[in-house]
Amino acid sequence: MFDNFIDQAVKLGLDPLKIAVSSAGELFDLPEEALDQFKLRIIKDAFKFHYEENAYYRDACQAKGIHPDSIKTFEDLAKIPLVPIHIYKSNESHKLLSVGLNKIELEMRSTGTSGIPSVSRRCSDTIDGAVLSVYAMYREFFKIAKGAGLYLCPSTEEIPEMGMIKALNMFAGLLDTHRFMVKNEQFIPEQAVEQLEAWENNFTRHIIGPPFLINRFIRYLKATNKKIQLDKGAYIITLGGWKRFSGEMLSREEFNQECIEWLGVSKEQIRDIYALVESNVVAIDDEFGEKHVTPFVQFSVRDPKQLDRELGPGETGQLAILDPMARSTPGFILTEDLVQIMPGESKSGRSGQRMQYVMRLPESTEFGCCAVNLDKQLDDMESESDSACPVVS
Amino acid sequence: MYSDLIVQHFGDPQFVGDLDDKNIEFEIGNPVCGDRIQVHAITNGATIENIVFRAWGCATSVATADIFCEQAKGQSLEQLESRSENDMAQMLGDLEPSQQHCVSIMVALHRRILAEASEKEVTHEL
Repeated sequence: MFDNFIDQAVKLGLDPLKIAVSSAGELFDLPEEALDQFKLRIIKDAFKFHYEENAYYRDACQAKGIHPDSIKTFEDLAKIPLVPIHIYKSNESHKLLSVGLNKIELEMRSTGTSGIPSVSRRCSDTIDGAVLSVYAMYREFFKIAKGAGLYLCPSTEEIPEMGMIKALNMFAGLLDTHRFMVKNEQFIPEQAVEQLEAWENNFTRHIIGPPFLINRFIRYLKATNKKIQLDKGAYIITLGGWKRFSGEMLSREEFNQECIEWLGVSKEQIRDIYALVESNVVAIDDEFGEKHVTPFVQFSVRDPKQLDRELGPGETGQLAILDPMARSTPGFILTEDLVQIMPGESKSGRSGQRMQYVMRLPESTEFGCCAVNLDKQLDDMESESDSACPVVS
Repeated sequence: MYSDLIVQHFGDPQFVGDLDDKNIEFEIGNPVCGDRIQVHAITNGATIENIVFRAWGCATSVATADIFCEQAKGQSLEQLESRSENDMAQMLGDLEPSQQHCVSIMVALHRRILAEASEKEVTHEL
């Protein structure tokens, strides 16, 4: 069914993936088998592209005895050789390019606890796909076209290449107004309260940022015994991991309870996003707290002790992402995250995969993204100057 | 977009590596999220006999490190010291605004190797 559609689109000079991206909602309505067949075709085409254009990747595929013709069924997608995510941090990451550097439009980074940046490079086609896809997912899960965003993170002006901030900043394009509350590595919670009060009764107010910073804001509210009542259509949107630089894990359950108590929202209004700077995928919580994967991307969960063994729904394993939107580098990435694909049907009735993040791979030598470093910077600043963020401990 | 010079030095760097018998070793960069460049060099008297790098960061910073090594190898410390910031900027060719921070990287590489070489000389004299 989809082969005809894709072949016709290509004949007309259209990009079938971009057509699909703009139909994210419709893809979520497809029967599972049809969606799998669609993913098979577009991921297979992407694999063929990188195999042909990228000598480094082709050599790796040949060493494994995998050729584009090896991919015939949906189950065969698990055979596609994966690029371990640490290669994006290596000083030979230029070998990952499937297009010339002169076609690269944007470099984005994420830096974990090691301080070594993971640099992902995107060409025009990749950015087209990523932008359309991220906005399609924001529209699908938030249905937002107005309101005000209180961003508890630095602006893209301060750190323009940071992937997490870039993805969150795209959300601001859907709003009437927004303000970044971390400036010059300082977060002053009194200013955040003032801004929320200034927007009250004028805009639906959303709070957006990494979990630890929203948690920091709530600690201030608790310390000053100030409760905020956000609006009925408001969202608390988190992105950036739940582990602090100190290694302390934030509990999602406790975080939700504190948002409910101190920010005046219901559980359905608290939404977490899973994303990786190296990939163009976002997985977003629906109203039931189920995290849906971008419908044209395949998440494959692997046995960490035997990476060519794919695990079934409900089993915890190492996440591999098969992302057909990546054109500048092979989008077949072996992450260092342990996840589960949720079994059964989704509560919201959407097709496709739903994922649950479990933890970072224990063997991983580092964790976190730019949010972790921001967390550390803010703590360091507070240690140096007690007046920067009073009362909070 | 990237100039041909940056494309060439990023895509086919000639000075990537480590030197076991280095007498100068340093690293520059932003410890939080920025570019990192590690340099190994061997000096013979006041001449940089050999120099290599490893870099982590944006394409332009990787190319900058390669251009620096190319322009430093076989040169005397005096020649490096005589370069103005404008000379160093010109070594990188046309850069977009978002790539201009690499001029600072080039300046930092020059200053650091001169400082390291000077320290070695003082240590040697002592």
